[in-house]
Amino acid sequence: MPRTCRLHPFTVLALAAAATATTVAAGRWWLSVAVLLACLLLAAWARRARRLAGLAAAILAPAFGSQLLIHSMADTAGGHVLAAAGPLRITAEGLATAGALGLRTGVLVVAGLLCTLLVDRHDLVAAVDLSPAPPQLGYLLAATLLLLPALEQRQRAIGQAQLLRGATPGGGPRGWFRRVRLRSVPLVLGALQDAADRSAHLAARGFPAAGPHTRLREVPDSAAQRRVRRIALACIVLGPVAVLAPTWAGAA
Amino acid sequence: MSTGPNRVLGLELARFRYSGASRDTLSGINLSLAPGSLTVVLGNSGSGKSTLGAVLAGMLPRHDGDALDATLHLAGQRIHHRPGAAVRIDPVGWARQVGLLPQDARHYLSGVRATVAEELALGLENAGVPRAQMHRRIAALADRLELHALLERDPAQLSGGQERLVALAALALDAPAVLVLDEPLAGLDAAVAARICELLDRLRSGGTALVLLARAVDRLAAGADTVLALREGSCHELDTAVPADAAPVAPAVRRAPGTRDEVLLGFSGVGIGYPGSARPVVEGLELTVRAGECVGLAGPNGSGKTTVLKAAAGLLCPSAGQVRGKSLAAGTVGLLLQNPSDQLFERTVAREVAFGLPRRGPAAARIPAVLDSLGLREHAQAHPYELPASSRRLVALATVLVREPEVLLLDEPTEALDADGLALLHAALAAVLDRGGAVLLATHDEAFMAATAHRVHRMGPAVAARVRDRTGGPG
Repeated sequence: MPRTCRLHPFTVLALAAAATATTVAAGRWWLSVAVLLACLLLAAWARRARRLAGLAAAILAPAFGSQLLIHSMADTAGGHVLAAAGPLRITAEGLATAGALGLRTGVLVVAGLLCTLLVDRHDLVAAVDLSPAPPQLGYLLAATLLLLPALEQRQRAIGQAQLLRGATPGGGPRGWFRRVRLRSVPLVLGALQDAADRSAHLAARGFPAAGPHTRLREVPDSAAQRRVRRIALACIVLGPVAVLAPTWAGAA
Repeated sequence: MSTGPNRVLGLELARFRYSGASRDTLSGINLSLAPGSLTVVLGNSGSGKSTLGAVLAGMLPRHDGDALDATLHLAGQRIHHRPGAAVRIDPVGWARQVGLLPQDARHYLSGVRATVAEELALGLENAGVPRAQMHRRIAALADRLELHALLERDPAQLSGGQERLVALAALALDAPAVLVLDEPLAGLDAAVAARICELLDRLRSGGTALVLLARAVDRLAAGADTVLALREGSCHELDTAVPADAAPVAPAVRRAPGTRDEVLLGFSGVGIGYPGSARPVVEGLELTVRAGECVGLAGPNGSGKTTVLKAAAGLLCPSAGQVRGKSLAAGTVGLLLQNPSDQLFERTVAREVAFGLPRRGPAAARIPAVLDSLGLREHAQAHPYELPASSRRLVALATVLVREPEVLLLDEPTEALDADGLALLHAALAAVLDRGGAVLLATHDEAFMAATAHRVHRMGPAVAARVRDRTGGPG
């Protein structure tokens, strides 16, 4: 069972945003690697390291590949040519640029993914509902975050119903495409019908709330967490400024 | 019926027509509900009961062409709807006065809350009720309905009966002056149904007016002040002294079980659990279903009846024991799911029934006959979602029967079926048994169970079930 984080979702998000903003602004490879390692350790504590690694690889592999293509293999500016074939040149400077940008992207992606794994989506919706944000924001967030699990459940039901009627898409890429083709139309139509059927009842129950509202769910919070959030928010602004100010001063 | 100031809701309806429809769905209906009254509206599927419920609940007319000519009296206000000049209704304000439990209780549940307790609290949250008060009210309601075991469950993982129970509880928690209930006891086990009846009695004695939309007079409708029959959209008052057991009666008499010993489906020591759940839903299940035999599965809501049927159909793999049988190996098992919406996904009835069949095979050739046998021929080109609930269930049944399954698995097959639909279902079961097949059905409809099942298999939560032979029981 994955461990859950008993922190206020805004605390997790604020810490992640502060770490990401400062690391990206600093642009030091060792800092990026340290943040990535810290993220992996946190994921391991939450027993979600494998999931984080899988998701991050799925996003970062193509992103890092494109960085390599743009900055490393087709670099025209670098002086230290490591290999060349026709118009393609691999230079040490290009590799360094691709590596630095790739690490920064990695920090952004891994920190973001870690937030999705650590933060309970129902806690996040409740936190937004209980914040001074407009109630429509909580509604939009709930609809967005909870739509995917609902669609997943629905597509499973459609798959079972189709299986009962002898529709066996088979394996491999062809089977995958056939499964997508068979399930996508009923899934979308079913979701629309479901939304239409539920909307009148949701409106009757006052959802989303138009005025003052409360939540039964208690989102864990404390004075210390509120202080941490304030410091993290300050870091989001001041961290990049502190890192970049000497550069700006040097340029001036 | 009440008139004058001593009424919580009054309706004088001249006519209602859906946008794009060629005829009126409702016409000439007058209702006046006194505090604490029970009004029963009886009607077959497609008679307009659900439409009447939605009009009373302020959910119709929609602002896209529905034509309502009616006057409503609610909370001291008089609301005139005229065709083309429908009044804009505040849904929250209306719902504080009139609550509606829809026929498919799933539609009442929000789908945006993590636990049943939060689902129950949704209306209170949006009304700004303080947390401590919400906890108190939910705890009191949970005591009354014995809901404590459900409070921390995920609403998306509830059984059909539990969904209805939770929706009803949420409605009761919001305490509107009028409750419109569309078949509130459908799919509920006897114990839960008794608790619901008790709750509704208590609400009624507290002044809540109840409107019960039903296919027949059941135990809840027995004490009605007014019984109205809805036929083709018009109401006629009936004698209130209608017997409580006047539910749609099974027209077919249970036949003797077949004499063949061939086991078509067998469970030996079967345990089934879901990923993430602490305990298996079903444990140590021993059950055989022989050719020519109809076996019933009975048990409280959430005892695993649907899980057993899904395992029998090969949709779930047992974590222990073995599901065996000639039919399972041959793939000639057909399952009718509890909610037909889970089984229907094509754009016409004909396409729905033909889905997955080889175009020139014998099954495809059977489609017209199957549609005829279930009275669906005239709906062949209709969208399944546009049909009344009873016909929709028959469409789902047609998708199963067209394959001539050797073992027919049915999950709450009588839910939403009207008397005509029930007769067609009986005929379909008889046809399966006559050709040497077998039927395994799960139902809370005791009259249907008594009329069809040769044996009843009683299930409890994760407890090895016991078999009670009812071959010699009353038919």
